[in-house]
Amino acid sequence: MWIINWLPEFIVHLIFITGIVGTIAGFVLGFIPFISKYKLPIQIISILLLTLGVYLEGGIAEKNKWELRVKEMEVKVAEAQAKSAVVNTEIVEKVVTQTRTIKVQGEKIVQYIDREVKVYDNTCRVPDVAIQAHNMAAKNIAPQEGK
Amino acid sequence: MMKKLLLFCTVLLISGCSTTVPVKQKFPEAPKVLLEKCEPLETIDKPNIVFSEFLKVVTNNYTKYHTCSNLINAWQEWYTEQKKIFDEVNK
Repeated sequence: MWIINWLPEFIVHLIFITGIVGTIAGFVLGFIPFISKYKLPIQIISILLLTLGVYLEGGIAEKNKWELRVKEMEVKVAEAQAKSAVVNTEIVEKVVTQTRTIKVQGEKIVQYIDREVKVYDNTCRVPDVAIQAHNMAAKNIAPQEGK
Repeated sequence: MMKKLLLFCTVLLISGCSTTVPVKQKFPEAPKVLLEKCEPLETIDKPNIVFSEFLKVVTNNYTKYHTCSNLINAWQEWYTEQKKIFDEVNK
């Protein structure tokens, strides 16, 4: 309710209390001479004020309930952001470590080839078709018809 | 008198109009490491190549595959975890 945001809360309470006091005065304290003279206007104004007061008090209660929910939501979002940042860091660390390990393992295999396989270089010739097949596989190109 | 009463009633009625207070929740940005592209596989450009060199190229390509596979797995894990966290807020 926009009027609640614009109207100070104490004015709403004032309207409500004035409405209650006026209603009591108009309906119960009719025997007092001053009040008995203005009984009807007091009753009408008081009922109107009381109605408005109850309406606005309800609005304030609703507003407070929503503000509480907004705050709860803000806390939840902040917690989720913190959790998300932790997950990000964990995954990044994991990826970097694993990538480094994969590269190191690859280098070790290359060293192994230099050490153990190189001796077969003279006896084991790689045919051109094997190279072509490898290149096609690397580029994901199918062999042409008849080849 | 009637006009004033109508004005009062109108103000009272529109006072019920709501003012929304949105709480925006953004899906997190992916880390830069995950945005790196997979490297293309190596090919052999020399016509005559010794067996060990051939095997090295194959090995390098396998290393590239494992690196890329690691990245894809991390992407999947990242999305699953982040979605879980994101959805928990709206439960």
